[in-house]
Amino acid sequence: MSFKEHLKSVMSQFFVIATLINLATFILGEIFRPDERFGYDAFLSPLIYAAISLVPMLCMYSKKELTIKQHIFRELLQLIAIEVILIGFGLGAKCLAPENISLTASFALSILVIYVLVLVIAWLLDVKTARQLTSELKSFQSRVSNMSE
Amino acid sequence: MYPNKSKYHNMDVKISKISENENELVDIRCHKETDSVREIAAFVKSRQGQLSGTLEGRQYGIAVSEIMYIESVDNKTFIYTAAKVYESKQRIYELEDILKPKHFLRISKASLVNLMKITSVKPAMGGRFSAVLSNGEEVIISRKYVSELKKTLRGEEI
Repeated sequence: MSFKEHLKSVMSQFFVIATLINLATFILGEIFRPDERFGYDAFLSPLIYAAISLVPMLCMYSKKELTIKQHIFRELLQLIAIEVILIGFGLGAKCLAPENISLTASFALSILVIYVLVLVIAWLLDVKTARQLTSELKSFQSRVSNMSE
Repeated sequence: MYPNKSKYHNMDVKISKISENENELVDIRCHKETDSVREIAAFVKSRQGQLSGTLEGRQYGIAVSEIMYIESVDNKTFIYTAAKVYESKQRIYELEDILKPKHFLRISKASLVNLMKITSVKPAMGGRFSAVLSNGEEVIISRKYVSELKKTLRGEEI
């Protein structure tokens, strides 16, 4: 895959991640800080967190076709990098507090859930493309067969 | 006099016109059956719906319609039929040119597939796809080649 294609594929995940972060913020907020109120700037945080989470994905670009094992290893490495960067950013921005372990643990769990959901959504889109390709392939084969008869 | 002419690969090319009732024939007259001679023979066969391949030291003619896919591994080219694997002297890009009109398509940097032998496509890891062939084998379609596959299937120009 060329870097341009990799960039396109990573960017297409940006809005999915931002939407899922919105959802996770709503759930975590309702559980841990139900009375907290925010200004308009709060609308930016899902976009910022989504943009930060794309950095490891962009950095781990490989020109070579990866084997399944290499791919799984890369996904795990990306997940760890995203967890570390986002928790670090959350602590730095004082959204998380080191003494509030349950909130930090829930935040880490949310990152894991969002990461898995992004992979599931990408997989479902690929299933749709694969079905479309199979159907177009059948039409192509019958067209060629009819022509050669 | 040119006693060692073939040593310098200066093979003459002679084309003679024959009558309609005679069979067309490509006759290679050489001092020794070298790799270059075998390549020429393989090219002529490939133009007629056949490729040449080696299996256990013996040369075989393989009907293009029998080929599932072709793969390049460590600078060697392998031709896969439903049950056998032959080695070819030709490079994958040469075979790509020859086999394009016969519904073969490049699906990754190292492989060409016979579109008529694919039964279905399914997703594989890393944004790639997998082509399931009629003998149950699966070959990986790189994401880079998916748009070319779509265009070919829709009859669009690549």
